[in-house]
Amino acid sequence: MKDDIAIKVEHVSKKYCKNLKRSMIYGMMDIGRNTLGMSSHSDKLRKDEFWAVDDVSFEVKKGEILGIIGLNGSGKTTLLKMLNGIFWPDKGNISISGKTGALIALGAGFHPLLTGQENIYVNGAILGLTKNEIEEKIDDIIEFADVGEFIDSPVKFYSSGMFVKLGFSIAINIEPEILLVDEVLSVGDISFQNKSLRRMADLREKTNAGVFVSHNLLHISTICNNTILLDKGKIIFSGPTDEAIKWYTQYSREVEFNALKREKSRLKQNFYGRKSSGVVSMSDSGLLDAKGNPTDRVLQGEDIRLFFDFEVDKTIKSPFFSISILDAKNTICIWNMNDEDKVEFSPINGRYRLILAYKKPNLVPGIYKFNFALRDKVTCETHERIGELKPFVVDGEKRQHGIVMCKGEWILEKISESK
Amino acid sequence: MTGSITTYEPDNCLKKGYLSIFSEIFNELRKNTWLTYQLFKRNFLTIYKQSFIGILWAVIIPLIAVGTFIVLNRSGIFSIGSIDVPYPIYAILGMAFWQIFSTGIIASSNSLVSAGSMITKINFSKKSLVIASMGQSIVSFLIQFVLVCILFVVYAIPPSVAILLVPVVMIPIMLLTLGLGFILAILNGVVRDVGNMLSVLMTFFMFLTPVLYAKPTTGILAVVTNYNPLYYLVSAPRDLILKGTITELNGFLAASIISVIVFVICLVVFHLTETRVAERI
Repeated sequence: MKDDIAIKVEHVSKKYCKNLKRSMIYGMMDIGRNTLGMSSHSDKLRKDEFWAVDDVSFEVKKGEILGIIGLNGSGKTTLLKMLNGIFWPDKGNISISGKTGALIALGAGFHPLLTGQENIYVNGAILGLTKNEIEEKIDDIIEFADVGEFIDSPVKFYSSGMFVKLGFSIAINIEPEILLVDEVLSVGDISFQNKSLRRMADLREKTNAGVFVSHNLLHISTICNNTILLDKGKIIFSGPTDEAIKWYTQYSREVEFNALKREKSRLKQNFYGRKSSGVVSMSDSGLLDAKGNPTDRVLQGEDIRLFFDFEVDKTIKSPFFSISILDAKNTICIWNMNDEDKVEFSPINGRYRLILAYKKPNLVPGIYKFNFALRDKVTCETHERIGELKPFVVDGEKRQHGIVMCKGEWILEKISESK
Repeated sequence: MTGSITTYEPDNCLKKGYLSIFSEIFNELRKNTWLTYQLFKRNFLTIYKQSFIGILWAVIIPLIAVGTFIVLNRSGIFSIGSIDVPYPIYAILGMAFWQIFSTGIIASSNSLVSAGSMITKINFSKKSLVIASMGQSIVSFLIQFVLVCILFVVYAIPPSVAILLVPVVMIPIMLLTLGLGFILAILNGVVRDVGNMLSVLMTFFMFLTPVLYAKPTTGILAVVTNYNPLYYLVSAPRDLILKGTITELNGFLAASIISVIVFVICLVVFHLTETRVAERI
């Protein structure tokens, strides 16, 4: 291993078994083989096994923090546990230069009947601190945990926040050469989170290298130099953090969109909050591309054209349409009514296609849905109201914050020296 | 920077050869003595914390067992055999040494399972967990030993001077218990039937071993007792206290050698397979 490399992972794989009874049998077999000095043939899959981490290779240089992102079940935690030595890899090998310390599970090993103080000793020992180290740091740990007089009460009387705060403040006090962190910064209230982030930054200065797993992309982008993106155990992207985050947002949007589409198709037609007089029946709706063909995605900044195919059995004298676009969090982003756009329609009876085109709406990239309503303006009767029709995607690489994009012009002027 | 490089790969230990395993185990145990003590304290404090009579339970259980035997003997259902010291002293002393084995086996076989999430989330010495769980049986032994001392005073029987050798004579039974505990902890981690089976077996073994009755001279039980290492391991320290000598020294030595061998083999097996448990527990 070269001198400037802190962690080297070569073609590492790890398999899990889906079936409990089989897992027991495999476990006994592996133990038997290891005992007799035989290879456990861990490189082959047996029935009901799958690769949770599949042929992963990367290097972390000294002074570098590597981020790992991916959806749930993509193998992030398993990978981290192998780096920590909790599990052996089934294929490949991992070399680590220096003492590792992990912030994986906060308060794992706390005993509910022991007091906070007693648990600090036990948990510190489990995490690898020596007696002297704990005695040196205990005041700091108690102060940082900020649980007040509860430090002498059994941990089972703690609120869940206090529990993890104490866990975090013990874990953050191990000062390892190689730091492994798994999603622990989102602990406690805002003030504790800020305190934790500051301490994390300090720790980063002191350690040689680290691996950081998180769902919080903001944390990843501030802490990590390079990031790998895992999907079903495989690395699908590896490189600079901003690129990885771009990939990940695009990728997770696709996954969410596909799941949403599956959900809608299972319900056949989404009648979420439907209110109908029985006069109108909707046969199809969706998005049209520039050529007039149905589609479900549009580029950011392009026109959005919605269509609605419906049939009216009984004449509606003064049709009044209300159509809105909602984002993934159900915020109404755009809401149009034909009378507000100064458009009047003559009475309708028969089959129709309504097209509503939005001119260059600057929605941020993401998943959107739309609502449709048709009323009679004269009788005030609601004929049809359907929510959350087919989802569609606005593609784009730009930022994810807010609802609409608007280029800002920035001016920073100094007015005077501060007093 | 220490520059030490750790490597993880499949069948990690096999590639190093058996010899380096011993130094690895020894270093690990030495490095983790304080951790072991902390884990012992954790076990010890929590067992008796949410309880009013706490540690006195260690005395109540053998007293009930011995009381049952006295009743059975008096009513002629069961014959204890001929014993030349007051029966309560004989029986409680026997129980004290026996429960090092029985409590120790039960506690150590459950040590990995009851640590559960700790094992799958933190990398620390699992040997310490098993060793620490033995502490519980040693504490109960000490308490029961106090009870025995009280009985010596009550019956006005002075124990032999050889009582000072008892800690040494107890080493084999402790090694045997710990060794079997290592293996059973691993097996119980993977297959829970092991733990359930053990609690049944322990009662059975107690009746099979002359702990609460004298060594039978005839019948199948006499033959079984002759080949039962637990009998020698329990009776040697008892003889030492009551008579001043070990009456069946050869049996005791053989049982001690078996215990050491079992301990070494089991410790190595544990070392080779401990990470397997983390993924199956």
